[in-house]
Amino acid sequence: MNKRTRTLAIALVSTLGLGLGLAGCSGGSPAKGGPERKNPAAANTGAVLGGTPQKGGTLTVLSNQDFTHLDPARNWVMPDMDFGTRLLYRTLVTYKAAPGAGGSELVPDLAEDLGTPSNGAKTWTFRLKEGLKYEDGTPVTSQDVKHNVERSFSPDLPGGPDYAARYLAGADGYQGPAQGKHLASVKTPDARTIVFELRKPFAEFPFAATLPTFAPVPAAQDKGPQYDNRPFSSGPYKIESYARDKRMVLVRNPHWNPATDTVRKAYPDRIVVTMGLKGNQIDDRLISSAGTDASSVAWAALRPESTPKVLTKPEVRARLLAESSSCTEMVQMHTGRAPFDDPKVRKAVQYALDREAVITANGGPALNDPATAAMPGSLFEGGKQPDTLGIPLSGDVEKAKQLLKEAGKPDGFATSITVSTNDKGIAEAVQQSLGRVGIKVTIETVDPSAFYDTIGDTRNRTDLVYTGWCPDYPSGSTFLPFVFDGRYIKEKGNSGNHSLFRDDATMKRMDEIAAMSDGAAANKAWQELDGQILAKAPVAPASVERKPLLIGTNIAGAFGHTSYGGQIDYATVGLKDPSKGAN
Amino acid sequence: MILYLGRRLLGVLGVLLAIAAVTFTIFYVLPSDPAAAACGKACSDERLEAIRAHMGLDAPLWRQFADFVTGIFTGRTMGTGQYALRCDFPCLGYSYENSENVWDLLVDRLPVSASLAVGAAVLWLALGLTAGVTAALRKDTLTDRVLMVGAVAAASLPVYFTAVLLIYGLIRLTGLLPYPQYVSLTSDPLGWASNLILPWVALAVLYAAMYARQSRSSMIESMAEPYIRTARAKGLPRRTVVVKHGLRAGMTPVLTLFGMDLGGLLAGAVITESLFGLPGVGRLFYGALTSGDQPVILGVTLLAATFIVVANLAVDLLYAVVDPRVRY
Repeated sequence: MNKRTRTLAIALVSTLGLGLGLAGCSGGSPAKGGPERKNPAAANTGAVLGGTPQKGGTLTVLSNQDFTHLDPARNWVMPDMDFGTRLLYRTLVTYKAAPGAGGSELVPDLAEDLGTPSNGAKTWTFRLKEGLKYEDGTPVTSQDVKHNVERSFSPDLPGGPDYAARYLAGADGYQGPAQGKHLASVKTPDARTIVFELRKPFAEFPFAATLPTFAPVPAAQDKGPQYDNRPFSSGPYKIESYARDKRMVLVRNPHWNPATDTVRKAYPDRIVVTMGLKGNQIDDRLISSAGTDASSVAWAALRPESTPKVLTKPEVRARLLAESSSCTEMVQMHTGRAPFDDPKVRKAVQYALDREAVITANGGPALNDPATAAMPGSLFEGGKQPDTLGIPLSGDVEKAKQLLKEAGKPDGFATSITVSTNDKGIAEAVQQSLGRVGIKVTIETVDPSAFYDTIGDTRNRTDLVYTGWCPDYPSGSTFLPFVFDGRYIKEKGNSGNHSLFRDDATMKRMDEIAAMSDGAAANKAWQELDGQILAKAPVAPASVERKPLLIGTNIAGAFGHTSYGGQIDYATVGLKDPSKGAN
Repeated sequence: MILYLGRRLLGVLGVLLAIAAVTFTIFYVLPSDPAAAACGKACSDERLEAIRAHMGLDAPLWRQFADFVTGIFTGRTMGTGQYALRCDFPCLGYSYENSENVWDLLVDRLPVSASLAVGAAVLWLALGLTAGVTAALRKDTLTDRVLMVGAVAAASLPVYFTAVLLIYGLIRLTGLLPYPQYVSLTSDPLGWASNLILPWVALAVLYAAMYARQSRSSMIESMAEPYIRTARAKGLPRRTVVVKHGLRAGMTPVLTLFGMDLGGLLAGAVITESLFGLPGVGRLFYGALTSGDQPVILGVTLLAATFIVVANLAVDLLYAVVDPRVRY
């Protein structure tokens, strides 16, 4: 998932101020590259805040935006996937409701188990549980899951995950069920069995089956593009009202059977999402946590300028979740164009980059961690990135100069970087750090709405771009191929592989790993490949952002879910005292 | 009169058509691709083409424009097979972002912008005209100076400054008022007013200052006219002289200004609505701009243009009422 899906707006002036302020607070033992960064917001990482909720009451979600898509065929934004699949519709498989690394564990949801592979993992069979019902009491059938998978191919319903399109056999040219055509590679021998026939082995299919594409949509309820406004519930809540960009009210789905669901606790009676609020209003309301705001959680990340008001007050800081977003932000170099076609020059950039400065410019250590590998920590053992680069966080200017000298550029050179307007402060940090070795960087800022179109135009784009990638599920297969497989490069509309890295050895290895049927071996291989790619230096990893979310004083059972980009797990959040949640 | 009105209405249509054409062309030449934005990441070329065709973006510009214009009057059917959507008169298309009918979106948001615009207009007319007329009648006195210095100061305050000041002072610091949350006039008139009072004030401060200055100079001019002297010489009461003869003639330029301002604001006060989190046309427009939602941008642009040209027409017709010398 690329950065298009995130809306964390960073204000330059205040972030700089904040970063400087926090630098003074950081302590701990010195480590390589300067003092160890102590994250003042990390105390709650891996913890469930507020204890166990009581059943009942109204949970309010304070949001600065509308949902992008809640239609399960179109929902591919981390927070929206969390909201949709935890509250409104169930998928064949889902993630355990657990903080920290436990959140990447798969558990059956609609299906009885995590699926049965056969034919060398080219065929996957799932059997639905008994007693699954929609909000009108009608049974959930395997045909409904097939129908939604088919819908995801429709050009009328764009935007959703494309795993079905990439893996299902005979899907070329298929354009959805609207014209009465169906996919032969998805079979439903009975109302509870669904069989997927794939064009190539896919050991990680159960991970893909957590995506909303694999939620049921009964054909009778399918209203095409309008389904987005009123998805039909198979989860614990149904939509009572939804005024787009204003307010959504969820009430209990009386036909949801908790006996069939090991994940969702459905504590609140009602969930109200208030949209279109200003970010500073959300921060202020949750900091003071007065009245019904005590029973509220933030949808939008805490704004960098509000961070000092939170971190300086222990009572408020105790209510801040700051789970990793699992998205690595990188300086990506155009490997097909001089001087970045020379690996030595690219390595020099890796050494020259001051990641401390980048982090300071982006809100300080409470809001992001330095990146020491390409894949985020959630894809490594123990949920932590290894220090693959072995470069001090503030860079190694001498080594960088040495590399430039070896590359025949002892005096550096001039180049330019494209960043989204939100990331201008980061670009300045990059500019200053590369300036230390004589690389003169010109910054080109682009409005967020045009950013991906601009950097996707490979012929006219700048040498450097600053962007990142977030894995769809905890596997290297949803990161490295998207970011470093040369076969994904497109002249226009290029996405993911912004270093335009085309390395035969890397691509060959990716194919080998993708064909592995042993998931653990594949994971280890992806981790090794991460290091091998970084040694060729197509990118300079900079930071992994966190998702800082405030909760009210009456909130319980809250944690940032690692598989949903650090968003609050809506399966378990509720109220300490339901009588206070009236709205 | 009828001939004049007919001619003007034709002109209005021409202006709207030209604005639609220009907006359309701007989107066409922009590098952004709504189909790619809708398709999402790692989109295959084949799927991108299918989506482009579905959105009608594969047709030449003239064709897309012709479909849009005829669609407004005759309606259009979008999508295929079971997923086809019928968009009836007046069809402005569907939002790329959330598949909502653009006309319905505008109708839904208009009451918020209208509430904001009309409430602020009442406030700024009352404040601005009172200050302007008072200053004109007491020209070169201390009152005049104080009022005009105040007006210059208020006019220099951008609305985002006033708004932030009000939010900080009256909401965050003192907690006197709640964060504005729009409630409709019909469901809760008191809630409607109390939630809108801050946005009204923020907007009215700026406009009242401009109206005070404008009405002062107009009043001074009209009060120096020979017919005012005549009216005074006839022994008419001061009130009649000022209101019936002075103010009425002096209001023509103020009316012109008012028509433009109200027309523009009815189609959304982008900054004020965004700052106060009011779900009006302005915020709709801002959201559409940031996401490149062309049908919504086009819809709001046409709505704004319609309000402004219609307000202009109304003002021109009102001249005849205000100033007896004008005849059509």
